[in-house]
Amino acid sequence: MTSTTLTRAGFLRAALGGGATAAGGIALGSRGGSTEASPSRSTDAEILNVFLALEHAQEDFYRAALAADAIDQPLREYATAAAGQENEHIAFLREHLGGRARPHQKVDAGDAVRSPARFRASAIALEEAAIGAYIGQGANLTTPMIAAIAPLISVEARQAAWIRDLAGVSPAPRAADAPRRSAAVLADLRAKGLIG
Amino acid sequence: MITLGELDRDEALLEAIARLCGPTRAELLRTTALGGAAMLAVLVARPASAEAALSDVDILNFGLRFERLQSTFYTQADEMGTIGRMSNPKQTWAETLGAHERAHVKIIASVLGPKAGPKPSFDFGNATETDADFTRTAVAMEDLTVALLTGVTPRIHDRRLTAALFGLLTVEARHASWARHIVGATPAPAAFDEPRTLDSVSGAVKRTHFITGAPKMTSSSSPNFTG
Repeated sequence: MTSTTLTRAGFLRAALGGGATAAGGIALGSRGGSTEASPSRSTDAEILNVFLALEHAQEDFYRAALAADAIDQPLREYATAAAGQENEHIAFLREHLGGRARPHQKVDAGDAVRSPARFRASAIALEEAAIGAYIGQGANLTTPMIAAIAPLISVEARQAAWIRDLAGVSPAPRAADAPRRSAAVLADLRAKGLIG
Repeated sequence: MITLGELDRDEALLEAIARLCGPTRAELLRTTALGGAAMLAVLVARPASAEAALSDVDILNFGLRFERLQSTFYTQADEMGTIGRMSNPKQTWAETLGAHERAHVKIIASVLGPKAGPKPSFDFGNATETDADFTRTAVAMEDLTVALLTGVTPRIHDRRLTAALFGLLTVEARHASWARHIVGATPAPAAFDEPRTLDSVSGAVKRTHFITGAPKMTSSSSPNFTG
């Protein structure tokens, strides 16, 4: 359950494999001869748009669950807090994206908000997806954006632990969270009907 | 939840605040939940330029010291039987956090290799002896770790390490959230966590007097935050 066997190689490979190199964005301080783009304003916009889509999916989901009235306390307290926080994250991302923000595609949460059990499972899927994508893409941002985004990433992890605890599963199942490719994260959520 | 008065054992910080802002302000802060980390950071942080020259090795070594502090704290509470006397859910929580912090020490030490600093000695006083003291300290430490990692991760130069530290930051944030939930506090109190500078975290750790022996750093780049 708790991973205590991470090696240096594994640690860096995790960071590299799923994140940095996969996203194709980083110049590792290394002169590795990478021809891929270094962090730049346009890379930032690409990445922030992925984050924006994830934050919208989360807020929409929580608002739909609250409106559907299918959840009671303490899930309502969680959903209310998380919806408000995602809303602030969206405002923050939109402020940085300006005219580069992509239009928001709303999705019908449907069955995902019809029962407490479905709500818990979908909320965990959304929060874990966001964490994986943020870790996977965060290091590809320009340095000022990394500084701006770090205090938001930790809050996504706080939300994940909170809903996991409410669902009766370990809030912190690993010693280190893994990066995920944003395309895989988005495809996964699309398959679950949780993102547009 | 955790107040400045609880963290600031010898009241050095509160005295400084009293001098700056008056005794009423200090008294208010003594019992105010430590959410105002931003203000604390302003009060105790040095100018940003003092940290501008930090190398990745400096930052990782500070992280290593901090993870060692945490892992020793959990291990000691375990060995003293404090964790064993707690309720089942709290045992699972404390044991998981201990296992993770020990793993983080291994991870960071192996990344640093021979550049890893020596292990300091610790004295947690009563903090590892009773459920209440242990829990209160754990909540404060986990929130402090989140503040530290949100503050220093952007200062890392090697982007592979940035990604890796994000993967530790999210786990520390899970810990903090879990700890707050256990004590009945809001797990995610705000939309953004307050980043803190390395020096400000170093100052907070120093005031706990948990680190009693700080061996000289072997690295040639001698950081100015050894406590």
